[in-house]
Amino acid sequence: MSRFDTLPAACMVWDGPAPAPGGVVLEQTRELDKFLAEIERRAFRMAQVALRDPDDALDVVQDAMLKLARNYAARPSAEWRPLFYRILENGIRDLQRRRTVRKRFMTWLPGPKEDPDNEAQDPLDTVADTAAAVPEQLMQDQAIAKLESSLRELPARQREAFTLRNFEGLDVAETAAAMGCSEGSVKTHYSRAVHTLREQLGEVW
Amino acid sequence: MSDETLELGQRTLEERSRALFRESVENVDMRVRSRLTQARHAALFAADRSSRRSWFMRVPVWGSAAGVSAAAVLGVALWFGGPLAQHGAAPAAESAFEDLDIVASSDEGSGGDAMEMLQDDIDFYAWADKAANAEPSA
Repeated sequence: MSRFDTLPAACMVWDGPAPAPGGVVLEQTRELDKFLAEIERRAFRMAQVALRDPDDALDVVQDAMLKLARNYAARPSAEWRPLFYRILENGIRDLQRRRTVRKRFMTWLPGPKEDPDNEAQDPLDTVADTAAAVPEQLMQDQAIAKLESSLRELPARQREAFTLRNFEGLDVAETAAAMGCSEGSVKTHYSRAVHTLREQLGEVW
Repeated sequence: MSDETLELGQRTLEERSRALFRESVENVDMRVRSRLTQARHAALFAADRSSRRSWFMRVPVWGSAAGVSAAAVLGVALWFGGPLAQHGAAPAAESAFEDLDIVASSDEGSGGDAMEMLQDDIDFYAWADKAANAEPSA
């Protein structure tokens, strides 16, 4: 049994203990501020890898911050990270589900059909980047783009396991808590993700 | 392919992808950083408000519990010792006193009639007693 087995589901509302004195609340707010500041950009990038759209990624991260702050601020700070990523991954999945439903609905409507090739093309990718003038930077950007597209092609659970373990540095127990699955499942998803990524990126790297 | 090679390949992939990801995090543009900061402040404000509300949200709970208890105590007090209880017990006591007053007030107009009625009753009860204790005639 891991130390995160007692984590409540992300949808539950934490009732919280008796209100802490003002000084404790202030200290807790500072700690939460520090935690969110430390995590926010990585969370944004992870959401962006999954969703492509930066505005959607910002919305999902903002929502995760709000939910964590509202419902789990009183929890021990050691639990914040898996809780935050659990909320974030739930948000990403919800958004992807809504997109799928919207896409199905749009195909029924008359009018110009969306071209799947164009849809897959992010307009930001076509914008010329002045920083890319340096060849090394160009290579880096291409490597990142390739990594992101490979991650996007992974099944959601494999992508979650890989990003949480490798990018965010969560251990197996924390990743299991964030994904809401067993530690064995995390290991399986991670191993499969690494195998697939090596196949796809091996030639580039 | 040996296990060592596989492990080395996996480690290389992990390290390279991690380095690329960290670099992309460092290169997040200022617009996004600004929006993330705003989102964080909004979340902290919500947390602060939530902690205050959770305190005040409990007040009505305690208040309602205290209110119910107070109402129950008041109800019991009124039932057993309050004006309602006195009002409920009053008719019997008042009627007894009224009867006694009526019987005793021989000076008043209705008092004499009452004494006569009481006297009639005594005569009746004496006759009934005598009739009940008398030997049957046949």
